Amino acid sequence: MQSLRLIGAFMRTSFQEAAAYRSNFFISLFTSILNLGTGILGIMVLYGQIKTVHGWDLNSTLALLGVYLVVSALRGLFMGPSFDSLAGMEGEIWSGAFDFTLLRPLNTQFFVSFRKWRLFSLIDLLLGLGVLVTAVIRLGTVLSLVRILSFLGVLTVGLVVLYSILLLFAALIFWSPGVLFTWVFDGLFQMARYPNVLYPGWLRMVLTWIIPVGVITTFPAKALTATLPLREFLPGLLIAVGLLIFSSFLFKVGLRKYGSASS
Amino acid sequence: MNETLITVNDLTKVYRVPVRSEGLGASINSLFHPAFSEVEAVRQVSFEIKAGEMVGLIGPNGAGKTTTLKMLSGLLHPSSGEVSVTGFIPWQRKPEYLRSISMVMGNKSQMLWDIPPLDSFKVLGEIYNVPKDEFKRNLDELVDLLDIKEVLVKPVRNLSLGERMKCELTASLLHRPRVLFLDEPTLGMDVSMQLRLRRFLADYNRASGATVILTSHYMADVMALCPRVILIHHGRLLHDGALGVLANGMAPFKMMRITLGRESVLKEELPPLPEGTELISLEGNTVSLRVPRDRAASTTAFLLKEMNVVDLAVEDPAIESVIDQVYSGGAA
Amino acid sequence: MKRGGWALIRSTWLSWMQYRSFFFILAFGWMIPPLIYLFVWSAAAGEGSIGGMTRGGFVAYYLVLILVNQITYAQTNWTVGDLIRTGQINKLLLRPISPIYDALASEVAGKVVYLVFIVPILIGLSFLLKPEMELTVANVLAFLPALLLAWALRFFWGYWLALLAFWTARADALLILQDSLVFLLAGQVAPVALLPGFLKTLAVILPFRYMVGFPVEVLGGGLSQADLITGFAFQIGWTALAVVVYRFMWRRGLVRYAAVGG
Repeated sequence: MQSLRLIGAFMRTSFQEAAAYRSNFFISLFTSILNLGTGILGIMVLYGQIKTVHGWDLNSTLALLGVYLVVSALRGLFMGPSFDSLAGMEGEIWSGAFDFTLLRPLNTQFFVSFRKWRLFSLIDLLLGLGVLVTAVIRLGTVLSLVRILSFLGVLTVGLVVLYSILLLFAALIFWSPGVLFTWVFDGLFQMARYPNVLYPGWLRMVLTWIIPVGVITTFPAKALTATLPLREFLPGLLIAVGLLIFSSFLFKVGLRKYGSASS
Repeated sequence: MNETLITVNDLTKVYRVPVRSEGLGASINSLFHPAFSEVEAVRQVSFEIKAGEMVGLIGPNGAGKTTTLKMLSGLLHPSSGEVSVTGFIPWQRKPEYLRSISMVMGNKSQMLWDIPPLDSFKVLGEIYNVPKDEFKRNLDELVDLLDIKEVLVKPVRNLSLGERMKCELTASLLHRPRVLFLDEPTLGMDVSMQLRLRRFLADYNRASGATVILTSHYMADVMALCPRVILIHHGRLLHDGALGVLANGMAPFKMMRITLGRESVLKEELPPLPEGTELISLEGNTVSLRVPRDRAASTTAFLLKEMNVVDLAVEDPAIESVIDQVYSGGAA
Repeated sequence: MKRGGWALIRSTWLSWMQYRSFFFILAFGWMIPPLIYLFVWSAAAGEGSIGGMTRGGFVAYYLVLILVNQITYAQTNWTVGDLIRTGQINKLLLRPISPIYDALASEVAGKVVYLVFIVPILIGLSFLLKPEMELTVANVLAFLPALLLAWALRFFWGYWLALLAFWTARADALLILQDSLVFLLAGQVAPVALLPGFLKTLAVILPFRYMVGFPVEVLGGGLSQADLITGFAFQIGWTALAVVVYRFMWRRGLVRYAAVGG
């Protein structure tokens, strides 16, 4: 399909751009390992003092961290870099280079979502999977095919939620080009390192319904290591679909606004 | 080759610009009662362009040329009016339409900064779905015409302005668009580079039959390249036709320079000039006059009779000065 | 000198207030990690206590931590490091007052802007989350110098790190490492008292605890007399060392800067 060929071309180009700056690789590696280390240490410190918190123990929280790292890696793989090229004062929309993006015979949402890749994130993905697999082994969970498939399904739904949130923030750039919305999101996303149930009720509501970060990590972790009842998952699925439709719509409205505003 | 490719009918673009006054009170007020003023950037502009034409869009800053160009390329939605380019409505941005056009902007670059232009070209080839062999053929041709073979493998950030513009043109022509929009393509370039680019554009337009619409501040570009110009001023189309006709129509004058037989002449010593003739300058024994075109002959006869004329020259006014006059609001 | 410094602070503050939405977003981002651990530890403590701290105690600890963290946060990487990297430090070197006043002006300006954002939020969170802290006069009196020293330590420590820009174009790795160490050992991931053996020892010896966590612990009152004294000793010692290293690097840096060319 042409879309796949295009994505291949985008990946190749991003790799060439990254290769132009060699020192980044080692710093990225250092950062990733440090990030991993502090994450694990944080959890170990907590569970060094107490055995379980609201039903979550060291290993299940470690599994959650694994999911968090996997999702962050996938975000850093293409969603983050692609949307970031629109944002901020060096971004396309502020500088006006977005005009060229509009001139291409491609669906703009597709183009803007997939055109920049950070292939180093594949290493982050491996690190995250490592943590996840280790946690699952320590938990002694039996990984049946059904469990793995349901995990992948719930993870995909979580990724759709993540993508929709990032697309929504990208759409907001058309109204406020200078604001770094993703910084706000990054802060809230940090909360997804720990299970939803740890947070007080009102915050849990926010993290499920308003900015559903809880859906993104807690649900897949539960699907893999414990149980995720369908009645709990169904609202998450609805949120995912609803968010995707809404943010795609908002993006189109933003495009229309850009096309009506001054040169 | 003679089909009408571009039709523009009563094209209008009105911007609503928020009006803010000074001070805290006004800022708060603007939250509840936002005030807008309307800026008419383009007013009921109409014209038709045939396939293969090379047309210049001229006008002072803020006249509406870039806005018009953006509406033709689909980047802006008009407030009212109709546009058809290669049979499409531009702002619907259908892929088939976008594949048939291309745009180059003098103040913005479409190439990726850190990698060689060749890599940007390859991605564009994929984006525009150009078959591999056709892509190679087009690329080779353009590289040859623009002489950028050595430049292809250097990162774009290391290129000079001229080299970069040549690459921008290459990038925009790889998919053989039927219409090429150029917004200030020679901006900031030295004269020799401008000449080279002009030659390329003229050759390309002739060889490929592509329709070219270009805006430029530099009169020289337009005079050299465009047999037809469209003058836009305060959003209105003031003239559509050959540049020379524009100059004549705007300023039906001729410039006369006469040298008198004496060393120097004082203004009071000149005979009363015929009606419509204006004294532009008097330096030593050289008199410069502006004479209405239709009275050039009679004025010449008068001057020869009344004054001791040693030398006489009659010229058309410089196009720049005519356009300048229009720009500064004095459309004769 | 004082008047020039004060004018500089005021003008810097005004320009920072213009971009306040940007700085509010930054402050929001910095507030989140301690907040997460506030929730994590108070959920863990539940009805009981962990390491002698109750749920309310953890809430109080972290709310004060957010405040202290914001007051002491080092911006010197931007206010000094970037200036050196882009050559803009030339402007400052030409002024009759030492460039450190520029950094100080940014410090004060920035902190005020951040606090404008943070303090109302902390007050709101206090009503919502119900912290529990026993404040004694002695603790409050000890808290103030601890806070001041913490700020000075973090400022000068950050300053000498930023001066590395004289020698290398990118000190990223060091800064990232520094962030992680602050996170682990300064009382963010957990109050230092709750850290496991070897981490606790590291935290007591290294300067990071004295940049953020120590003043919070002083205020909370959980420190014994002996701990208090050794704590202050370490804090003063590290601050003095940071100032010495800063002065040394500043002089060496200027020499190198002049040699390499501004």
